[in-house]
Parts: sequence; C-alpha cells; structure tokens
Amino acid sequence: MLSMLANLLKALNSETSPWQISLAVCLSLVVALTPFWGLHNLLVLLLVLLIRTNIAGFLFGLALFSLAAMLVDPLSVRLGESLLANPALIDFWTALYQSDFWRLMGFNHTLTLGGFVIAVVSMAPLFVVMQVLIKQYRSRVMTWVSKLKIVQALKASKFYSIYQAVAE
Amino acid sequence: MLKWIRWSGLLGFAAVVALLAAFFLLAAGPLVKMAIEGVGSSAAGAKVNVDDVSLSLSPLGFELRHLTVANADKPMENLLEFESAVATVDLGPLLMGNGIIDELSVNTLRFNTARTTSGALEKSASSASGGDGAKQEPGMAEELISQLPSAEEILARESLQTEAAGKAFTETFDRRQQQLDSALNNVPDEAALKQYQAEITALTTEKITSLEDFNQRKQRLEVLREQFKADKKALNTAKDLIGETRVEVTQRLQDLKAAPGEDLASIRDKYQLNAQGAANLSGLLFGSQTGEWATQALYWYEKIKPYLASDNSDEEPEYQRPDGRYIHFPTSNPWPEFLIRHTAISAETDAGDLAISGTDLTHQQAVLGRPARIDIDGAGLNKVEALQLNIVIDHRQAVGRDTLTLAVTDWQLDSVNLGLGDAQLESAMGQLQGMAQITSGEGRDQLSSRLEGQFGQATFNSSGQTLFAKELALALASVEQFTIDARANGDLISPSLEFGSDIDQQLSAAFNQRLREQQDKLEATLQSKLDDKISEYAGPYADDLQALNNADGKVTDKLAQLEDMARAELDDYVAQQKQEAKDEASAKANEEASKLKEQAKDKLKSLF
Repeated sequence: MLSMLANLLKALNSETSPWQISLAVCLSLVVALTPFWGLHNLLVLLLVLLIRTNIAGFLFGLALFSLAAMLVDPLSVRLGESLLANPALIDFWTALYQSDFWRLMGFNHTLTLGGFVIAVVSMAPLFVVMQVLIKQYRSRVMTWVSKLKIVQALKASKFYSIYQAVAE
Repeated sequence: MLKWIRWSGLLGFAAVVALLAAFFLLAAGPLVKMAIEGVGSSAAGAKVNVDDVSLSLSPLGFELRHLTVANADKPMENLLEFESAVATVDLGPLLMGNGIIDELSVNTLRFNTARTTSGALEKSASSASGGDGAKQEPGMAEELISQLPSAEEILARESLQTEAAGKAFTETFDRRQQQLDSALNNVPDEAALKQYQAEITALTTEKITSLEDFNQRKQRLEVLREQFKADKKALNTAKDLIGETRVEVTQRLQDLKAAPGEDLASIRDKYQLNAQGAANLSGLLFGSQTGEWATQALYWYEKIKPYLASDNSDEEPEYQRPDGRYIHFPTSNPWPEFLIRHTAISAETDAGDLAISGTDLTHQQAVLGRPARIDIDGAGLNKVEALQLNIVIDHRQAVGRDTLTLAVTDWQLDSVNLGLGDAQLESAMGQLQGMAQITSGEGRDQLSSRLEGQFGQATFNSSGQTLFAKELALALASVEQFTIDARANGDLISPSLEFGSDIDQQLSAAFNQRLREQQDKLEATLQSKLDDKISEYAGPYADDLQALNNADGKVTDKLAQLEDMARAELDDYVAQQKQEAKDEASAKANEEASKLKEQAKDKLKSLF
C-alpha cells in the first residue's frame, strides 16, 4: 500500500501528464463498480495497459472506489434492473442478446449494467475534476506542501525512502 | 497518436491472458473430475468415481473414462456405470460460467453392476445394508395370503379408534368420578336427615308452654330452614352433575361401542381384504413386476427432478439479491447455467441393448424455452420385439407437467407363475400401451397414468392336484386371450392402484371363494380382538355406571324428602297452633254455653 501511494505521489509530482492519471482513475471506476470477475473488465485492463495511463493511479482508484462500491452496489442493481426491464429498451437489449460478444460482456446482468452506466456517467465529470485537482496540486499545493514541517519529518521516514526508491 | 500506446502493456495483457489460458488447460480436467465426483456423490448419496477426465481443444470438450455411481442402498453395487463419455462444450458460455454441452455421447452404459469396493459414503456407511437377498418367489396367492398381516400385527400397527375411544371413556369417567365424589361430600347423608327429622318432630309436636317457647322454636325452625336451603342447593348441584356425567359417559360409551366397527371398516379398506380386490388376477400377474418398475421409475424421477425442475428465480419480479442477476431475453441460442443440448447413450441391460437419447436437459427450462425430452428405444430385445419410451419433462411454468408414453410390441411372456393351484401362464404374446402424467405444483406431485395390454396366444398349464387346482386348470383352458387395464392415480408417492382384466371375470369366482374364507377368518379374529378391547375399557366401569344411576335416584329421593320435611313440619306447627286456638275457643264457648244454660235453668226455676 505504501509503495502504491508512493507511486501515486511520484506520478503526481512528476511530469506525468494529468490526463494519464485522470483516465486511469476513471477506468478504475468501471472495474470497481461492476463485478470484478467479468470479461468486460478484461477489456478495461487491456485499455489500462495499452494506453499510457498511470497504473498506480488505476490501482489507487480501484482500491478507493471498491470501498465506495459497497454503498453504490444496491443503487447499481436497481438501475440495471430498471434499464433491463424498461419496455422502451427491450428491443435494444433483445438485439444485443443475440450477440455472443455482448452476452460475454454481461450486459444483461443487473449489477454489471447498472454499475457500468453509473461509472460511465461519472467518468466525464470525474475526469475533469481530476484534471483540475492535479493541475492545482502541482501549481499551488506541491511547493507549499514540501515546505511544511510535517513533510520535512516525513522525508526522514521509511515512507520517503520507499518514495525515493520508486522515484529513482 | 501512437505515443499514447504502450506496447509493453499489450505484451503484459497477452501474458495475463496466456497465464489464464494455461491454468484453464492444465486445471480444467482435474477440476471437472472433482466437480463430478463431489456434486455427483452428494446427489446420489453414494460414491461417484471417474477414472480420468481429459480436455480436448478441437472441438473443445471433455472425455470421461469409466464413471461409476454406487448404489446408496447397496454399496457393493453400482446404480450405473459407463466406459466412456465424450462431451463437446461451448466456449463462450463456459467463459461466463455456463456449462453448455452441445453433444454428449455415453458408451456402454450398464445398470446394477457389481463393485469391488464399497460405494458407501463415510457418513452412510454404517446405515448401509449391503445384502442383495435373492428372494424365493412362492406362489403369488400364497405370497399374497402370507403377506396379509395377522390380526395381532394389524392391531399393533394401526392407530385404532377403539383404542382412542377407550382412553377417552376412561379419562372422562375418572374425571367425572372425582367431581361427583366432591359434590356428594356436600350432600347430607341418611344420619343427618334422621337427625333433622327428630329435631323437627320435637319442635313441632311437643306442647308450646309459653310465648317465649314459641319464639325460640320459631327461631330454631328458621335456622333449620336455612340449613335445608344449603343442603338443597348441594343436592341440586349433585343432581345436575350426575345428569351431565351420565350424558357424557353415555356418549363416550356409545363412541367406544361404535369404534370397533369403524376400525374394522378402515382396516378392511386399507388392507383390501375384500375378495374382489384380492382376486384381481391382473394384479397378481403384473402387480408385483409393475410395482418393481414403478419403484425404480420413481427412484430415478425423484433423483432427476430437482435438477430438471425449472429454476423460476429468474422470473422473480422483485429484486432482492445484492449481487444482481441475469435477465434473459428471447433468443434462438439461450444460455442456461447448465444444458445438454443432445445426448446419445448406448445402454446394456438384462433385457437387451437400449438406445437412449436426451435433448435439452437443463434445470432452467424457462430460460431455454423448451421442455426436456428423453427417448428410449429398444429393438430385438430378449423378450420384446420393440420398446419405445418417450418422456417429456416440462417445467417451464410454475406447474410442471411430465409426461411419459410407453409402447411395447410383441412382448413374449413365458412361465409366469400365477400362484394359484400351481398354475402357470406358459406363454402369451402381449402388446402394451401406457401413458403417465405427473403434475407438480406447489402441493404434492400428482400422478395420472394408465397402462393397457392385449395378450393373445395364451396357454396355461396346471400341475396342481387339489380340487381347486383342477377347477382352475379347467377354467384357464378356455382362456386364449385377455386384456389388462391398469391405472395409477393420485398422490405420486402413494397413488391409488387399479388393475382390471377380463381374465379376472373368468376366474374370480374360483379365486374369490378362497380369499373370502381368509378374509372372513381374519375379520372374525379382528372383531373378537376389538370386542376384547371394549371389554377391557368398558368392563370395569359397568358396576360404577350402575352405582352412578343408583346415586342419582338416591339423591333425587333425598331432595324430595328434604323438601317434604321442611314444608310438612312448618305446616304441622301452624296446624297445631290453629288446633290449640280452636280447642281453646271451643272450650270457652262450651263454658259460656254451660253458664248460660245454668242461668237459664235458674231463671226458669224462679218462674215456676
């Protein structure tokens, strides 16, 4: 956990592009809010690995949003249930159901669909917010934080040695 | 654009996928083996063993070698075993965790084969019996009669109304007896009544000497009157209680007397002691064998049913589970959690080789949208020219309907022991047609079935030397063809069975007499035993009942006596007072008259 946090701090403090971190956190939202052992998550993993997203950010976001998922899951299930039972969408779902690919993606699973929809809807605002926060952090907080005495103390701790090792 | 791509990430992804695939390839066989043995054992209640399971990639599938399913009741015997089975599996559904088998072929399926080691599971090992117990088959009628339980066995086995009525009678009588004893304790006895009588006599007959004496007697009479009221109340209470007791005890006694008749009717009905039922020759001919088949069929039906019953949880309108659920839509290629699209099995049985095929075998028929179907065909069997058995298991709706149709062509019967006078059905050629439907809903499963058979070229022989056997042989000689009509309806576990046959009509007169004698004998014994039970319960209480009636009479007499006594004594006292006043007035009048008479005489004397 310390290594993961150190990696994230390293990314935040480095020249890593804000979108790489933001996109990684957004993608982690999909994995966290849908059942982990689903084939759709294999595609998300492919995206995370293939696109130059920040993997530490992805893992950190996954840990964070997995905790949030415990609260969101009931809502996700209800949303999925209502979408799949919506008469206006029945034809659409039926058409998707004819395809093995979509069935493998588990679109007809209430938690998968509900969680996926919530994650996708949240992605855009989350991406923008993350971008702003990272930029603000780098321009204002990072310099100020490094001058804090507590940070000075931290620099003498084990955590900082890990951070250094990761940074190198 | 390309600078966004992390090629090393693609390699990493490929490595992860390859790792998962390698795990699947290496572990799939052992995992399937473990699953079959684990799930199979718990379902069969006995050991299920597979020698080996191997995975094939093209087409994707599994091959099972030598599977055995032990018989839970006979651990040294297999219910079934087969040499090999090949299953081809759909990869897509498998990735979703759905086991869809396109084609399953099973080679050399055998039933009831011997095992070299016990197939009992650890927990059921102690309860397993193990023995085959080859049974000697005595003559069917003798067997039937010998199977009739004795009167003692029936009485011990059955929950008799006589027993219950007897206990109710005893309990009622004892309870009422206690209440009566308590009530009668408050009633004045003979000595008390005599004392009352003596006291009242003394108060009312002796001469009243003064006004004070009169008042004292009056007060004492008032006290006695209050005492009479209390005693009268106690007597009335006792009388009412006796009346209620008599009604209740009489009712219980009537129940007790009626119970043996009802018991006898019930036992007669249950054990089918009526001669017509027992004389049903078609039951004798086919009942035992049919019963065995039905037992086997029911065993397998109960085993298979839980796995073929529709899982309707997918149709629950309200969401309850936090894990979510799959919602299915109409499609030509549905993916239930488990499905065997088609299976072909070659089976070796004692009767000959059978070809068994099954289609759409799944526990989620609502998802599949089609019922399961099992067809069994046999041609050129040992004693049957052709056999066709078609089973359709339809659990798509909440109320399941399973139907079975059977057709047997040219069934060669030979040496079927009739069990009557050493008679045998030497040979006959039979055609059978059967249909059964099982309806299973929220209540208990209901069976509706019928089996019809036509038998021709029938020849009988009888070597019996008794008069009965000879008469039977003569009767059978005229029978060349006969039909049977069997029905089983009602609750699946214990359906009501009916066997009908025209051969019965020809032979029932002879057979009827024999069983009727047995029936009469048994009924007489039963009646005697039940009478004994009445005596056992009612006998000791007969005297008590008589005493109860006597007590009622006595209490009534006492009550009347007490009432008369109270009224009479008061009447006596008033009459005494009146009489005394009357006597006094009369004496005074006489005295006045005498005086006037004397005065008149004196005046007359002075005149003359």
